[in-house]
Amino acid sequence: MSGRQTMLLEAENITAGYGGATVLHDISVNVAESEVVVVLGANGAGKSTLLSVLSGQLPSTGTLKVDGQTISTVRSDIMLQHGISLVPQGRGTLTALSVLDNLRVGAVSRRDRAGVDQDVDRWFDVFPRLAERRDQIAGTLSGGEQQMLAIARALMSRPRLLLCDEVSLGLAPVIVQGLFRTLREINSESGTALLLVEQNAELALEIASRVYLLEVGHVTTSGSAEKFRDDDSIRAAYLGY
Amino acid sequence: MEILLSRVFAGATSGSIYVLIALCLVIVFRSSSTINFAQGEFALFTTYVTWWLTEHGLNVWLAVLPAIVLGFVMGVVAERVLIRPVKKRDETAVLIVALALFTGLNGLDGWIWGSDDKVFPRMLPSGDDTYVTIAGARLHYDSIAIIAIMILVVVGLTQFFNRTSIGLQMRAVATNPTSAALCGVRVGRVLSLSWGLSAALSALAGALLIPMVPPGQLGLAGMFHVLIFAAAAALLGGLDSIKGAVVGGLSLGIGLALVNGYVGFLGGSMSLTVALVVIVVILVVRPTGLFGARRLERV
Repeated sequence: MSGRQTMLLEAENITAGYGGATVLHDISVNVAESEVVVVLGANGAGKSTLLSVLSGQLPSTGTLKVDGQTISTVRSDIMLQHGISLVPQGRGTLTALSVLDNLRVGAVSRRDRAGVDQDVDRWFDVFPRLAERRDQIAGTLSGGEQQMLAIARALMSRPRLLLCDEVSLGLAPVIVQGLFRTLREINSESGTALLLVEQNAELALEIASRVYLLEVGHVTTSGSAEKFRDDDSIRAAYLGY
Repeated sequence: MEILLSRVFAGATSGSIYVLIALCLVIVFRSSSTINFAQGEFALFTTYVTWWLTEHGLNVWLAVLPAIVLGFVMGVVAERVLIRPVKKRDETAVLIVALALFTGLNGLDGWIWGSDDKVFPRMLPSGDDTYVTIAGARLHYDSIAIIAIMILVVVGLTQFFNRTSIGLQMRAVATNPTSAALCGVRVGRVLSLSWGLSAALSALAGALLIPMVPPGQLGLAGMFHVLIFAAAAALLGGLDSIKGAVVGGLSLGIGLALVNGYVGFLGGSMSLTVALVVIVVILVVRPTGLFGARRLERV
């Protein structure tokens, strides 16, 4: 990434936290159109907090820009309208609703009914296990299925940037690999940019082109994924080999 | 047999009344997990407005329309101004706010319209010879009408929740407000709408039921009993289920009519006690009621 092209999302000088505790200290991250970026960091580094800010859930000081334009009112529904959608940690399943209704809720910001129906079919094609369970109550799905549902639901708003918070958490390796394969396909087919927050650094680095390293609320390093894969000290710390 | 049947008819009539108010409680509870104890007083206030308009020469069916609109506005304002700011800080304090609304509205009724009972015009046909006979038992037109209206309201609400976008959003907020917000649902707006819808429905229900429940006139205590029966019905069915409100309301109405009829000493003034016993037993034995959301969750 070089040059001063306009970024899809720029977060500048973000400081945020909960109550009196500041979690993020003046950090800046950005994502270009169709880019895959991964944020690595240990537990408590502030990764989820960062995504809460970027998705408009958590207020912060600092500025969020989409296509170079500053977002004046930062709120979930407004970030969605700007094409930024979050797959939350813990999946955020609407447990009492059917699988199909979960997807429909993901599209409430849209007005094109026909397009919504098309997208429902599209994600049912991508995730056949969800299609088999379309009328089932979502709370009865397995963890992996709920994660698929969370991703599909976030995609129902037709985002330009998908923020993914620990999609691998608590899932079997084979399922995680499937999910990452799907994410990579979504990125290459639709050009949807991805910002992944991950503890499973190995898989994330495989599909990412750029990396931010977050340590206790500060960005300590950033650079190309290639550099990170080859860096012995980072490998030791985050990949464990 | 005729006596049994006529008791069932009477029970279904009062049961339908409980269903209507129970539905109002369910609409609010589903979205905001609050039991609105002031629901009956919303209904009473708007029913006074309906009465006041009829006193000024308006037909009662026309007079109830502005009252419904007023009910909607009252619901929205109460949620936005009183409930939401308090709830943000303390969930249980909402109960106190609802009780304050309860006494406040009742006091307001008395202050504006006085404490003497008013003759409220009947909206549904009634008289000595307005009935059909089924197997020897009389089924009055107003009973038929209130049951039919209850069914229409239930079908309408079900369609609303299942087929419209705002209904879907209400169900989403009921399940998981945080996730719903993340999907772009304006949670605050949905909460206000739920309260408004509920209070609008209770405005219609109030005007329909006041002439049908003792004392048959519009007085300050007009909704006390109905609210307790409706709350028992809603609890029995499960506070978040429309189907539950229907089954709970009808079985409570019919059950009480039969108990009153056949178990003499429990009749009349004891039926309120029976309703309260029902509430307590449900809370102990099965807090989610018959159709309430059982937690179907896997990790």
